[in-house]
Amino acid sequence: MTVVDAAAVPGRGTVPGPAGRPPRAKMPPHRRKEALLFYLFISPWVIGFLAFLLGPMIFSIYLSFTEWDSFTPPRWVGLENYITLLTDDPIFWKVMGNTAYYAIISVPLGMAVSLFIANLLNKKVRFRKLFRTLVYLPHLIPIVAVALIFQMVFAPGAGPLNQALSLVGITGPNWLMDAAWVKPALILMSLWQAGGGTILLLAGMNGIPKELYEAAEIDGASSMRQFWSVTFPQLTPVIFFNLIMGIIGSFQVFAQVFILTGGGPDNASQMAVPMLFDEAFRFYHMGYGSAIAWILFVVIMAFTALAFATSGRWVFYESEVRS
Amino acid sequence: MSRTRSTSPISRTVSRRSLLAGAGAAGAGLGLAACGGGSGGDGGTPESDPDHKDLVMTVWGGEADKIAYQARVDLAKEKFPDYTITLQLIPSENYEQKVQTMISSKTGPDIMQVAENVNVYSSKQQLVPLDDYISAAGLDMAATFGPVGENYRWDGKTYGIPDRSGAMVLYYNKDLFDAAGIEYPTADWDWDTFLDAAKALTDPAKGQFGYGGVGWWPQWFSLVAQNGGAVLDPETGAPSVNSPEAVEALQWAQDLYFTHKVAPTAVDYSNMGPEMGADGAFQQGLVAMNSTGFWAVGGNAGIEGLNWDIAPFFHGKEKAVSAFGSALVIPTAAKNPQASFEIIQFLTSAEGQTPIADLGQDVPANLELQGSDAFLDPEWLEADANLEAFPESADMIFTPKFIPEWNEMQKSVDDAMASFWLGESDAKTTADDLQSRLERVIKPSE
Repeated sequence: MTVVDAAAVPGRGTVPGPAGRPPRAKMPPHRRKEALLFYLFISPWVIGFLAFLLGPMIFSIYLSFTEWDSFTPPRWVGLENYITLLTDDPIFWKVMGNTAYYAIISVPLGMAVSLFIANLLNKKVRFRKLFRTLVYLPHLIPIVAVALIFQMVFAPGAGPLNQALSLVGITGPNWLMDAAWVKPALILMSLWQAGGGTILLLAGMNGIPKELYEAAEIDGASSMRQFWSVTFPQLTPVIFFNLIMGIIGSFQVFAQVFILTGGGPDNASQMAVPMLFDEAFRFYHMGYGSAIAWILFVVIMAFTALAFATSGRWVFYESEVRS
Repeated sequence: MSRTRSTSPISRTVSRRSLLAGAGAAGAGLGLAACGGGSGGDGGTPESDPDHKDLVMTVWGGEADKIAYQARVDLAKEKFPDYTITLQLIPSENYEQKVQTMISSKTGPDIMQVAENVNVYSSKQQLVPLDDYISAAGLDMAATFGPVGENYRWDGKTYGIPDRSGAMVLYYNKDLFDAAGIEYPTADWDWDTFLDAAKALTDPAKGQFGYGGVGWWPQWFSLVAQNGGAVLDPETGAPSVNSPEAVEALQWAQDLYFTHKVAPTAVDYSNMGPEMGADGAFQQGLVAMNSTGFWAVGGNAGIEGLNWDIAPFFHGKEKAVSAFGSALVIPTAAKNPQASFEIIQFLTSAEGQTPIADLGQDVPANLELQGSDAFLDPEWLEADANLEAFPESADMIFTPKFIPEWNEMQKSVDDAMASFWLGESDAKTTADDLQSRLERVIKPSE
């Protein structure tokens, strides 16, 4: 590994051997011990990864090409599960559409909200620490409890949300039972937990050198200008991290849907992972469920790759020099 | 059907089942992925290994269920001192996934509780057919359990012995009836007498409704059956929900909400409070009548000042009412099915079921016990409730065909009927839509 390679890198005083390759330097005892310890300490993770992640993942690729009820032996069906999902399933495209709708709106919106709050809490206001705690607090509440709270919040007549809307003359929708409003309701609920991103952004803000602001101030930059020209570029690595995590998390949204709507009404809020769960563990179609998982995997990879591909244009690292 | 399984889809409340199922999902996936496919039996009576004396029994439920089952297992241990019987109580919300994992990894129980999902297992050769044992033991299923004795048959074989079975009954609030000057319900009520009463008991000014509603499948399936229809063909399990009889029953059901306005819609319930459904609204006096299972006896008895009683569910052209029950079965992986059967036979006898009645857990399936004072006049219940309604309903119990695609059927029903119960589509359109969805998921047995 790196320990070995470092000793074998050309130009470090090793003489090239007859075959043109540097001869393998004999590992000094303390290095050998270090390597052994490395493997010793990494092994729980490696074993866990192989047994609980890689193994089941490979098994599920196989399963996705079979029909398996989990009791009788799997039956090989080739690409049938994928073909059925993509061409003949009555809800699959609707479900993927719902999931994309949720992810594409909730992730940028959540990032904007958490950036706004972070900027607010970075100001020198009284009780700043208290506010920071309060903003992070929703993030600590289990999603199950959050769902129960929002079940009340979204109640069509008696819920505080629609009561507030009625104060300004708007008749609020029947959030969780109306096909048009159930996804916006879930997105609204996701915003309540934007405080998680806020904490990371605040930490990032603390790391921005004060000199940059001093220089900007001398140059006569307004606070708005300072935000966009100093704070924001300096925060882009954190924002990028939030984006990737947001994409992965939102495509895998499960508990909120499962608890709050069960995917209803008529699959208007059904998402990819709850559908996968239904197929595999309620309907005993393990193969079909595995195929959904792999399609979802490809979709998440594609969006993540897209984010990485564009990141060069807008993510700045401190040490980086831009022309 | 245990009480935690009974969440009405119309008032889609957060059930504990769905809460924990989410948490359990990841774990179940790992467990299953790690073990290969289970083997199927040939469907015949397997060999028994008489040396296998440590038996495991899986049941679902909460604390009250645990106490009742343990009391019964203790009785069985006295009866069969050679065996050790270990009771495994699994929370309802994880039960199906957990036993699925156990069976797939060949660590299945020796005795297992099942309900509507029985044929998920039997259709995949995971249960021992019991007919040979039943005839050898001289057990008369019809005499011992009534029509429910037929419930756990699949493809000509019997797979389960009924253990718990209580008809859905009509709970009513006596004070609200007295205030409206109406006679209490009886077994003679039909759709018209019921509707007249429900109208008289509805008072929008007080936010009071005559009836809790019929949006939950045991309720409207009963109405369809009462009208001479069937959601699932009793023989083949094929869907027939858009028959004229079924559509007429559905229309009558929907009219309760939107024409006569005698039952709260899902919107009304969500405005009453979180987790609010018919059972809760009945306890608060917001609905005067509610049709549900035995579990509400204990729930209602605990409410101070609630003056209530029960009557058999009303009838239509025919008598038909759903029941909530479960059976005990033997998985094919069980090593000593002979011993499993002997214990099941004891547990479903009047003697073995007595703790169900004594502790007020549920309605025992055994008719002898159901008609005895142990069940009808129990010590745990101070209220003077007419528990007679349960045995009185026993012979009108109808059971929908327990198809192997039961869970998928439930999902199709929820999906197709969401707009129906909100008054956004009519009975015929909904029934046609549901029919085509069901035809997609259900493969009729014949």
